[in-house]
Amino acid sequence: MSGTDDRVAVAAADVWPDDVEEDETAVVVNWFAREGRQVDEGETICEVQIEKVSIDVPAPVAGELAEIERVEEDELAREDALGWIEPD
Amino acid sequence: MAQKERQQAVERELTMSRAMVEAIAHEMRENDEVFYMGEDVADYGGIFDSTEGLLDEFGHDRIMDVPISETAYIGAAVGAAQRGMRPIAELMFADFFGVCMDQIYNQMAKNTYMSGGNVSVPMVLTAAVGGTYNDAAQHSQTLYGTFAHLPGMKVVVPSTAYDAKGLMHNAIRDDDPVVYMFHKRLMGIGWMPAPDGPKTPVPDEPYAIPFGSADVKREGSDVTVVTLGLHVHRALEAAESLADDGIDAEVIDLRTLVPLDTETILESVAETGRLVVVDEDYRSHGVTGEIIARVAEEGLADLEAVERVAVPDVPLPYARPMEDEVIPGTEDIETAIRSVRS
Repeated sequence: MSGTDDRVAVAAADVWPDDVEEDETAVVVNWFAREGRQVDEGETICEVQIEKVSIDVPAPVAGELAEIERVEEDELAREDALGWIEPD
Repeated sequence: MAQKERQQAVERELTMSRAMVEAIAHEMRENDEVFYMGEDVADYGGIFDSTEGLLDEFGHDRIMDVPISETAYIGAAVGAAQRGMRPIAELMFADFFGVCMDQIYNQMAKNTYMSGGNVSVPMVLTAAVGGTYNDAAQHSQTLYGTFAHLPGMKVVVPSTAYDAKGLMHNAIRDDDPVVYMFHKRLMGIGWMPAPDGPKTPVPDEPYAIPFGSADVKREGSDVTVVTLGLHVHRALEAAESLADDGIDAEVIDLRTLVPLDTETILESVAETGRLVVVDEDYRSHGVTGEIIARVAEEGLADLEAVERVAVPDVPLPYARPMEDEVIPGTEDIETAIRSVRS
């Protein structure tokens, strides 16, 4: 499901709070979509937890959730991608 | 199977808490008389995410934080309901019912009867139940039997996001008082991960699941397992494990305790002849005994063997190994299923 150049990252940086300590990591709590699902722009597609605060992650664009890169309970850092969307 | 997987791949999935909130939000948009009050339900979003996000849309007039004053605010909900509103009052932990039982038992449950039917009490009392996270004896009980024993209330216990949404729609629309008991471990919150299972595809549109309709979560021909809440998932896990040994267990999720779908249980036992009842409430005078009594009354001839799996009659311990010991696990259910087949 990977390999195309036009995929858009579901980027952790888009939701990362500014006041989080520099070396803090987040944990993926829930995915609300599986690979292959058509998602709307702005739809909450997953939830991460940083410093005990839960944060909803919206789809950056409408399209197909092509790949989930970080599954539930995985850790991630600010620069990581949670997954990839193939835009409509 | 491929089609089922494909279907699952494209549908939206929700945690149980989000499914509940979606139903509440819908009903609040449809009916101005619906409001929610409880401890930490507004700014905090509910300590088990039971009201997450509702404050932003509906404001403090309809999503109300209250002081630690269970008698007062549950009593206020009863009064509001009798005047035609549709309150949802959250008792943070079911264990806290002690301080407000007069409002629950004597007012909420009985006022329709006491008034000769002149008032109805269309309110929902939500409460978090269950253990498995080491919070000791005053925060970890399920108390299904305590609430189901009191006449006058309907009692709901969802086990999946799909059921949680449909049952919540029905609870808010019901003209009678409903106790809606959600298991903390199923809510899908970050600090208390749910087992596989409660997060399910959930349709965007509203739908009501009628009370008194148990759901056969797994079909099987050898043993009937009747359960509810968290233990639906443990029973399903046990059934999958036993399937490798050629034992085919049917798992019935009660979904509501009042009204109780005795028919579905009897039909299943008529096929299997063997019954295991699993519950996270105390063993004595509770759900397990009630289910077995009903089957004995109405289907005794079908019954070849029976076993119950429940919490022994001790308050839930704080220490993790001790709590793990008393709350039934998947292996305990497997053992019981094997036992009724031997």
